[in-house]
Amino acid sequence: MISNFIPGLIMIITSFLLPIIPQYFRHPAMLLSVGLSALSLFNGYGTFLEWDILGLNLILYQSDSLTLPFAIIFHIAAILVIIFSWHSKNLMEHMATLAYAGSAIGALHAGDFFSLFIWWEATALTSVFIVFAGNTNAAKDAAMRYLIIQVSSGVLLLIGACLMLYQTGNHNLAVLDLKTNFGIFIFIAFGIKAAFPLLNGWLQDSYPESSVTGTVALSAFTTKLAIYALARTFPGTDSLIWIGAIMTAFPVFFAVIENDLRRVLSFSLNNQLGFMVVGIGIGTELSLNGTVAHAFVHIIYKALLFMSMGAVLYRAGTTKASELGGLYKYMPFTTIFCIIGAMSISAFPLFSGFVAKSLIMSSLGGMGMVLIYFILFFASAGVLEHSGIKIPYFAFFAHERKNKVKEAPINMLIAMGIAAFLCIAIGVFPKYLYQILPYAVDYQPYTLDHVISQLQLLVFAIIAFLFLVKFKLYPSEIRSTVLNSDWFYRKMLPGIGKPLFKKIGLLTDSLYKNLGLSFKQVLSKSYKFSNLSYIKVTTPSFAGTILISILFIMLVIVLV
Amino acid sequence: MKKNDLKSMGKSFTKYILIIGALLILLDFTFHRHEYFSFAEIYGFPAFFGFVSFVFIVMLGKWLRKFLMRKEGYYDQ
Repeated sequence: MISNFIPGLIMIITSFLLPIIPQYFRHPAMLLSVGLSALSLFNGYGTFLEWDILGLNLILYQSDSLTLPFAIIFHIAAILVIIFSWHSKNLMEHMATLAYAGSAIGALHAGDFFSLFIWWEATALTSVFIVFAGNTNAAKDAAMRYLIIQVSSGVLLLIGACLMLYQTGNHNLAVLDLKTNFGIFIFIAFGIKAAFPLLNGWLQDSYPESSVTGTVALSAFTTKLAIYALARTFPGTDSLIWIGAIMTAFPVFFAVIENDLRRVLSFSLNNQLGFMVVGIGIGTELSLNGTVAHAFVHIIYKALLFMSMGAVLYRAGTTKASELGGLYKYMPFTTIFCIIGAMSISAFPLFSGFVAKSLIMSSLGGMGMVLIYFILFFASAGVLEHSGIKIPYFAFFAHERKNKVKEAPINMLIAMGIAAFLCIAIGVFPKYLYQILPYAVDYQPYTLDHVISQLQLLVFAIIAFLFLVKFKLYPSEIRSTVLNSDWFYRKMLPGIGKPLFKKIGLLTDSLYKNLGLSFKQVLSKSYKFSNLSYIKVTTPSFAGTILISILFIMLVIVLV
Repeated sequence: MKKNDLKSMGKSFTKYILIIGALLILLDFTFHRHEYFSFAEIYGFPAFFGFVSFVFIVMLGKWLRKFLMRKEGYYDQ
């Protein structure tokens, strides 16, 4: 029976049952559902469930060597999130988190684009409640923007799937290229969720607005699902190499000046996705292994870093670097766990980032791609800057703290402890990670050349930091907003749209007046059309209108 | 807890990092470090690259503040 049950579905069903489960048993029930779903990991490879509907054959459950490592790590991430949120009584967030993780796991096992679309949208609809659960006005606004962007990605995927079916008669997941119009639609759909350059605004906009525990859940699934989808459908697509390289390099500069440490981590997440995208673009067995390995370890250390910042937010009430510092005295365990996460993401030898990133770097070196190689090498120094140094330094050190705070709750420490253990275990024993990668690997990350080279890079980057601090050249943290690509739809489009709408409003007003009617009267109470506050209030829907119009125009162009 | 805890920690951290850095450079002279690209085999190349990259990232980031930084609550206005 279990072999026919879609992995993740049991988690979604459980999430709907949570309201009738007593508070005390909710977390055990959530863990149990993840455990039941994880039984599917032992099913082996093959197609287990298909459904013929409306003349379409939907492959609802299939598994292969690419699915498995992602499925394993998604289950681990779900467990970590549940333990980390054990203290929380926010029912909506628990429901959303469990259903979101379940949807992401379900998506991994979809064998055709229509099934993938359903899960793709399910991850969007469930995760928006996690952003919403941030429970501030900023979080609610961010949730609306997040929803529009995520659903747009799904709509593009659906358009691509329909076009593909129409043109080729096939809708199964397959390797695509960018010479077909449906390929382009699907590529952009995946690109939005993978936070490609200029399509990345939603990530840094929404993740830091979520709750203490919500951000941890968000960081694990959506973007890595997109990486999985790209690895399945666009391996070896040359443009991905450059897209990925830009993704590794650019967020680094934003992370330097960002004040909110959870937003710094969101920029860092974007930079990490870049490494994975480069691996997909190269498209060799080694590089694809590198992408999968990197996604695997990244989920753990990024969750660990977000958990440590979540613990800081929970205890100190903020993650703004300008207001933190000196927490090492009061939160020693959180400090140690955060440093382990920081060393892992910075790819110190014996930590998990090293054994994964090496695969991608080696495949670049082996192909002789000198420029991309050094962009990624440069970005590695950047990772050290924002995640390796800035996060632990400003949160836990920097200067002495006046107000006492408590250490993180025990459940948070357990979750962080497990993640930290995994970071080191994978770093020390990489063969267990390599065993579950899609292709057989005979790779040795710990060569003297490689270790010394990486250590030189990292240690001298740290020396550079000490040098900059010593000579007061390191920029101080300032309470501020750093502009990102979400500026285009949060400021620029409304900036153009507001006067335009106002003019249209005035025009129609005078038209109606001439007809003896006031347009205002027609739409008076609910709309207040010529009142500017209307536009302000509905900026998300305004941006939505623009996005949907663009989608519609693209569709018309393709069909014509 | 003493008041100058952080300062002394910072000092000893700096000392150890500098020692490790010096050792890593010295190690470079004891064996031939194979790299994918021959120019990266120059003594201390990754160290130099790491140092310069870091300073460049921080300085460019600092300069970008002029264009990218707005007041807190900018989007609420």
